[in-house]
Amino acid sequence: MSIRKLLLGACLMGAGLLPTASQAADAITIGIPVGLSGANSVVAPSVVQAAQLAVDEINAAGGVLGRKLALEVSDDASGAAGAQRAFDSLIFQKKVNSLISMETSAARNAGLPIVTRGKTPFIYTSYYEGRSCNRYMYVDAWVPDQQVGPMVDFFMKSKGSKTFFLVGSDYAFGRGMLEFTRAYIEKHGGKVVGEEYAPMDATDWTAIISKIRSSNPDALMMSTAGGVPNVTLTKQLRAAGIKALYGNLGLDEGTAKSMGADAEGTYLSGSYYTSIDSPANKKFLAAMQQKFGADLKTPNDLSVPEYEAVYLYAAAVKKAGSVDSDKVIPALATVSFDGPRGTIRMDKQRHAPLTMYLGQVTADGSVTLMSSFKDVDPGAQCPALK
Amino acid sequence: MAEAAGAQGAAITRRGVPIPLLVLLAAIIAVAAGPYVLDTYSVNVLVRSLFYAAVALTVDLLWGYLGILTFGQSAFFGIGAYAVGLISTHVGFTPGLAALSLLAGIAASMLVAGIVGWLAFFYGASALYASVISLVLPIVVVQLLFAGGNFTGSSSGLSGFDSFDDVSVETWFWIAGAFLIVVAGCAWRFVASDAGRVLIAVRENEQRCQYLGLDTPRLKIIAFVATAAICAAAGYGFACYTTVVSPEQAGFVFGTELVIWVALGGRGTILGPVLGAVLIDYESAQLSGDYPFVWQLIIGSVFVAVIVLFPRGLLPLIGDALRYIGPKVRPAVPPELVELPMHVVAGTTGPALAIHGVAKHFGSLKVLDGIDVSAAAGELVSLVGPNGAGKTTLIRCIADGSERSAGRVAINGHEIGGMSPDRCVRLGVGRKFQMANVFDTLTVAECLQMARIRHGFPSVLRRASRIGLPRPALHVIRTTGLDHALMTPARLLSHGMKQALELAMVLALEPSVLLLDEPTAGLTKAERTLIGGILVDLAATERLCIVLVEHDLDFVREISSRVIVLHQGRIVLDGSVDDVVNSDLVKQVYAGGGHGVGAAA
Amino acid sequence: MISQLLDIVTSAAILYAIAVGLLLVFGVLKIINFAHGGLMTLGGYAALVTTQFGLNPWLAIPAAALVGAVVGMVIERVVVRPLYVRPLDAILATWGLGIIIGQLITIGFGRGVQFVQSPLSGTLEILGEGYSQYRLVLVLIAAALGLALSLLLHGTRLGLDTRAVIMNEDLARGLGINSTLVRFITFAIGSGLAAVAGALITPLSSVDPNMGVPWLVNAFMLVLVSGASLVSLLVACLVLGGAQVLISSLVSPVLGGITIAVLAAIILRVRPAGFARG
Repeated sequence: MSIRKLLLGACLMGAGLLPTASQAADAITIGIPVGLSGANSVVAPSVVQAAQLAVDEINAAGGVLGRKLALEVSDDASGAAGAQRAFDSLIFQKKVNSLISMETSAARNAGLPIVTRGKTPFIYTSYYEGRSCNRYMYVDAWVPDQQVGPMVDFFMKSKGSKTFFLVGSDYAFGRGMLEFTRAYIEKHGGKVVGEEYAPMDATDWTAIISKIRSSNPDALMMSTAGGVPNVTLTKQLRAAGIKALYGNLGLDEGTAKSMGADAEGTYLSGSYYTSIDSPANKKFLAAMQQKFGADLKTPNDLSVPEYEAVYLYAAAVKKAGSVDSDKVIPALATVSFDGPRGTIRMDKQRHAPLTMYLGQVTADGSVTLMSSFKDVDPGAQCPALK
Repeated sequence: MAEAAGAQGAAITRRGVPIPLLVLLAAIIAVAAGPYVLDTYSVNVLVRSLFYAAVALTVDLLWGYLGILTFGQSAFFGIGAYAVGLISTHVGFTPGLAALSLLAGIAASMLVAGIVGWLAFFYGASALYASVISLVLPIVVVQLLFAGGNFTGSSSGLSGFDSFDDVSVETWFWIAGAFLIVVAGCAWRFVASDAGRVLIAVRENEQRCQYLGLDTPRLKIIAFVATAAICAAAGYGFACYTTVVSPEQAGFVFGTELVIWVALGGRGTILGPVLGAVLIDYESAQLSGDYPFVWQLIIGSVFVAVIVLFPRGLLPLIGDALRYIGPKVRPAVPPELVELPMHVVAGTTGPALAIHGVAKHFGSLKVLDGIDVSAAAGELVSLVGPNGAGKTTLIRCIADGSERSAGRVAINGHEIGGMSPDRCVRLGVGRKFQMANVFDTLTVAECLQMARIRHGFPSVLRRASRIGLPRPALHVIRTTGLDHALMTPARLLSHGMKQALELAMVLALEPSVLLLDEPTAGLTKAERTLIGGILVDLAATERLCIVLVEHDLDFVREISSRVIVLHQGRIVLDGSVDDVVNSDLVKQVYAGGGHGVGAAA
Repeated sequence: MISQLLDIVTSAAILYAIAVGLLLVFGVLKIINFAHGGLMTLGGYAALVTTQFGLNPWLAIPAAALVGAVVGMVIERVVVRPLYVRPLDAILATWGLGIIIGQLITIGFGRGVQFVQSPLSGTLEILGEGYSQYRLVLVLIAAALGLALSLLLHGTRLGLDTRAVIMNEDLARGLGINSTLVRFITFAIGSGLAAVAGALITPLSSVDPNMGVPWLVNAFMLVLVSGASLVSLLVACLVLGGAQVLISSLVSPVLGGITIAVLAAIILRVRPAGFARG
């Protein structure tokens, strides 16, 4: 140890460089690599809070296999380079037993090879563009196959829409969602009159809005990056006086709320809204309120899957009787949890059938749920992983 | 900051082992021992840091040594990474394909660097402009990667492709370490060599380099392309190790991070950027996780403070302190000056300098108009006239093809057309500026070496132990005593010595047409006489055609074979010394020109 | 057709408003102010605070100008002035300042997207086509900014001094012009203009700690291609902004996003003076 210290000191010059001691040895640690800074930093605190509540509840009930759960949070800066640092640090330095987190697709992809090297179970809790497969990864959030259908069906059947215009940010999620959307619309007899992508950091939508105006579609389907592009496009659409039905595949409840009147009338679809009327959700919201009080970050479609995933992991460890990867990984497909979103079981090629909701933003920014679709199947996501 | 670069390589310990060699040895030991003493986590993180450090080193070579502030090296790193990512994902990964993707990445990034270099570096382009172009590059590359859809993986990049899967992390550490040591070792060898001086000379005084016949835009493009290859190789290693490629790796945020590492570590040194990259990247892995926003704020603040207060970066500060308490630098041995045999120029029959109808105007203002001059080898022509008559402008029009607005200039029968100064030098033009224009931070010997650069690019490996100079240049050096100050930095020379050094440098070009702009300004009477004698001798024995701008009419009378009087952009008289001295017109010109005569007296 | 024309004119107006402060600083100090994006962000947040106090949204513009100018003065005095003889270091330092401004805003206001009340919404009928009123008003504002600056440069003593420094600083100093003061005032005005631009785009854009960044590179290139002339900047904004709109709508917005930068680089390579005369 002293030689190692000496060499580290010599090579790296600085006390802060030495690895810090990890959590109490007997706890089962869950790593949360998450975007505390960067694009995901708005939603990340709510994700961490949800995980904290789950851990507290499980520990209060006696923990798992007689051991407590503990969290290790690490910033991945919402990007690939940051994720490599965070995954390395969690897996090899803090030696966590599992990873449970929502992240950008770039960060997830960057982390996966490290997960493979560390043979650490990883539950990914963010909705994403689908078809990301790894031996050690499970997903308990939705994919396009689950989200797009309800909205397009509603536009076609209830509103009589025939022509659609698709607008997306030019990134994996934007393209992945709209690719699926186009196929779905065409399969069901609708017509896509335009499909346009703007750079992810675009703030000027002038040209695309002109095209929308000239093709005059019945409905708009948007899959823009969360935050800035969502906001700028919505604002500029309103300013330009576009009147088409307006479905947003990337808009979350929180952003809708802060956008207020600009977002009014927008349709959105997802697996979790705070207004879901179920005992499990009410209990969850009350517990969150009690634990965090004024500091509470509104739970959302990214934080609730985190909460449920912690429970799913705990159940899998219990069932496997150990934190050993080789035993926990198969167990994860067999356990289920009744959470705010209903009963979650990740048994479809590492993905989970989910109850999906269609909502509409009202004038004050809140979301009214219009209909729900029970246990929508994620489709063939990872056939190679059975 | 330049001293840091200048002092490198000269540092020797008391026992005579060069310090860089000790550093190299220490680095080799550290890399070899690393995996045995560090935990898996540190080894993992350091593999990436070591690859990053190699890229940071290329930023340093371009910025710290050559003076090109670049934000775009990340783009080449990204290209190297994507080459293997794309080929492995879409084609496959075999030893053959692995080698192919390395070559493809290097070739692609060199091609891109060539195109960007062509856009960024040209005669007359500013350093600022090149920086902004280097900022545009990664932005464009990332945009294209995003637009690549499933092919490039868009924002998510490509992940989990096949690579050298059976290579352990420890082996990767050795590979990355060895790569860095090789790059750093070569870089150190290079910057300490004669060719390395050239980079510093360009950074210090690009104009003088051009007037010494160096095609600086081309040099910059070559350097840019060469460093791009290194970045691509680093990107390749990085991608093979992590089996992840993402647009972020090619983005300008990473590009600017590299600049920060170099700035904090110490630009213009080899060790500084390496330590800066490894330390800050390693530290970031720890601290950014705990204090994401504050960490960025600290980095930003420290960066601004270092730029304003310690532009050389932090390592040179430590270096200074060590030098203060540590071993003294042993003075290096000055190179030997050797006389070169004169080139016998094939007897051209025409005039050495032929100017026909040359004009120069700024908008409606005519500075020169209808200038016709012809001068033969062996002539010593003085250009006189009041301030603003266009004398210096005429000199400029002869030495730089892009200066004049109309007319033709020919050197030894060759039209200069729109040639840049370095190409004019190749035709035989040598220009000495009005203000002594030398390389302040280089030594006298290095300045002289720079002047010989067009006769053969210096070695990229070693310092020459002798400098070959033509007789006239040697003559100037010996008669002025500069040969006893060969290891003195030029900025420490007296004004007169600087003028003499510049003259020697221009003569080292072996020009056939020598342009001198007030060579005696600010010199003492004795120095003036000395220079006058040298010039007369050059014209007589070396058959140089000398054109000289001069205010001192006494001096002009003593040395000139011919005098041309310029007034308001036109030639009013062209004749012998006597013609001019006795001309009423000239008296009128000077009287009308106001203070002209006074200044001349 | 008419809407495309309006798109081009309004896009050019937005670009002009964003680049004009940068141009002024570039002309006098001969540096590119990399903190321009940070200063724009500052203007956006000044607008946010203004409307949060319940003040008239139009007041956001003078408020932003004030905040930008004051911050600009501090930056000039503390960071830019000591780096006068090291222009490349000056741009690096201003870039570092951009990071600092962004992080301070993040710490103060959070990372999230904020919403500013728009002073004007809805559309205006022009030849049978509804067009965003605010974009049309932006054209007037940009024109007013350009005119005001022209008057300042050509109608006042300060303007004369400034033009002298732009043309030849050494000569201007020789003539007794206090070029240090000119630089100081110019940097303050340029920073104020950056902040005003930030406030002006808030109704079109979101307000977040990085809101200025995406505009930065285009603004750089427009300034480089215009030299130091307000008129050539106008031409550059119309030509390159127009090209951006056309390529975005005819080819693809992704290519449109890099149009200005790439075209400007090629123009400068072929004709180093860019759109400037001479």
